Amino acid sequence: MKHKLSVMMFSWEFPPRVIGGISPHVFFLSKSLAKIGVKVHVVTCDFPDAPPHEVIDGVEVYRIDSYKNPAPDFATWVYLMNLNMQREAAAIVNKLGDKIDVFHAHDWLVATAGIGLKHVFRKPLLVTMHSTEIGRRDGLHTDTEKMIHETEAWLTYEAWKVICCSDYMVSHVKWAFGLPDDKLVMIPNGVNTHVYASSEKEDCEAFRAKFALPEEKIVLYVGRLVYEKGIHVLINAVPKVLARVNAKFIIVGSGYMKEQLLNIVRSMRLEHKVLFMGFVDDETLPRLQKCAGVSVVPSLFEPFGIVALEAMAAKSPVVVSDTGGLSEIVDHDATGFKAYPNNPESLAWGITKILIDEKYRKYIRENAYRKVQEKYDWEKIAQQTKQVYKAVLGEYSKSFWA
Amino acid sequence: MVGKLADYINALSTQLAKNKVETYVVTYNDSLTGTVEEASGVKVVRVANPVRSPIGVLTWDLTLNQEVERAAASIYYQAGKQIDLIDVYDWHFIPAAVTLKNALKIPFIYSVESLEDHRSPNSSTPYNMSIKSIEWLGFYEAKKVSVKSEWMRDQIFRIHNVPEDKMKVVSPSKDSWITDVLELYKTVAGGLNSK
Repeated sequence: MKHKLSVMMFSWEFPPRVIGGISPHVFFLSKSLAKIGVKVHVVTCDFPDAPPHEVIDGVEVYRIDSYKNPAPDFATWVYLMNLNMQREAAAIVNKLGDKIDVFHAHDWLVATAGIGLKHVFRKPLLVTMHSTEIGRRDGLHTDTEKMIHETEAWLTYEAWKVICCSDYMVSHVKWAFGLPDDKLVMIPNGVNTHVYASSEKEDCEAFRAKFALPEEKIVLYVGRLVYEKGIHVLINAVPKVLARVNAKFIIVGSGYMKEQLLNIVRSMRLEHKVLFMGFVDDETLPRLQKCAGVSVVPSLFEPFGIVALEAMAAKSPVVVSDTGGLSEIVDHDATGFKAYPNNPESLAWGITKILIDEKYRKYIRENAYRKVQEKYDWEKIAQQTKQVYKAVLGEYSKSFWA
Repeated sequence: MVGKLADYINALSTQLAKNKVETYVVTYNDSLTGTVEEASGVKVVRVANPVRSPIGVLTWDLTLNQEVERAAASIYYQAGKQIDLIDVYDWHFIPAAVTLKNALKIPFIYSVESLEDHRSPNSSTPYNMSIKSIEWLGFYEAKKVSVKSEWMRDQIFRIHNVPEDKMKVVSPSKDSWITDVLELYKTVAGGLNSK
């Protein structure tokens, strides 16, 4: 390899297209890799008004035609989009003149593109498994779920290395797909503390007045309104918290459970205490996190828990459910409060404790911020990822594909 | 065997081998996977779908295409990158042909047996539209389009607006059939820049 280490990443989302956690992950990882001398090409789906090709801090970003004809369902659309992704990525690789060393796929949503390009160019494929279908759905109940699970299994089979963002996810992926230990690598997700530095001098009193009364503490939830995120557990905890503290619950995000959740809130006659915000812009979210009395992550299944990490970076004390990656990010009573999963009483206990006990809140937020800086820095994560690329290329150089 | 295509490919590949064309057939079989060399000298590679629970024909097809692509790429590398052209039949393996063309610069002929518009007349569900879009992609990316009748050529012109000089009628009922096939192959073989 005479040129700079060169990677082509596949991701179905990349800013400004933001659907879940993969978009910010690929954004910060690719930029941090570029900073330490890795040439990164990101191939992603198109987005209104975003250019088909641009360079962001050294990262080449290509936005492909993500298939706009009607598709029978989401899963079929994914495979049709992958057809376009493969086609356009193949042409890009050729244009670059055999300079791609490694393909790196993010989740099953780009599985067939990654697998196909691996074989046609005979270059190693890596995958980061951000989540699994069996975990998201708590089992495999429908044909679509089985198909996605099998696609994930196929992707991890084809990958030379499988990166997971937490120890929990390593053991989960090992179990779900029967992978050998030496194929799995744990590299944590990162958080960009600079985003929150700008809101350091935030005038919370003025800002929070848009959302809550001066006497109301803000309890913040950020995430999709879907079952696995446990938002219904938080909603059920609302009256238990309100029995002891005057608070306003701010719910950021959208999802298929929204109507159901609104109905629960209406039936409890607490519409004035729970504010469903939908999606908020990139400027408002860090300010909200900064000004929240507590951030709550009540997930039932959580491979990593980036929202908790972001709250910690914003110096917002966190209450999380003691599950998955959240269990690793948060140390109970040191960097946050761990509640029993799927338990509104436990969740309410943690929220109330943080809102009432000023000393405890201060202690937790300071410890949490320190931990974020020490362990979840993107540059360190990029270094670890680069080492994995190098190890794979070492193996590749001894193979008959080289 | 699903339709008459299997018989046709068998006859065509045998004739090609007789005419000293190194021929590989990549096809689907759920259990008899691997490579077999027929008495004619044709090498048949059968692949299975790694996804055992597709939710429909489209997802079955699109996942199977990756295995077709893998097998075809493997043939390409084992043959010292000396594959002159791909002849792909109907929409099913167009995705593989398109990637192989863009990645390995192997031109392909799209041989049309039937069209979605004829199989499902007056249907424009998302399922039909998806198949039609794959057909369209095949017509767009193919170096040449092979049809078996003038009627089909006119239909493709009418439905997909494919230029008539991109299409060639090769009728299997004519005595000159295999000569016509070879003539068509010669116009395409030799890379994407040939005429």
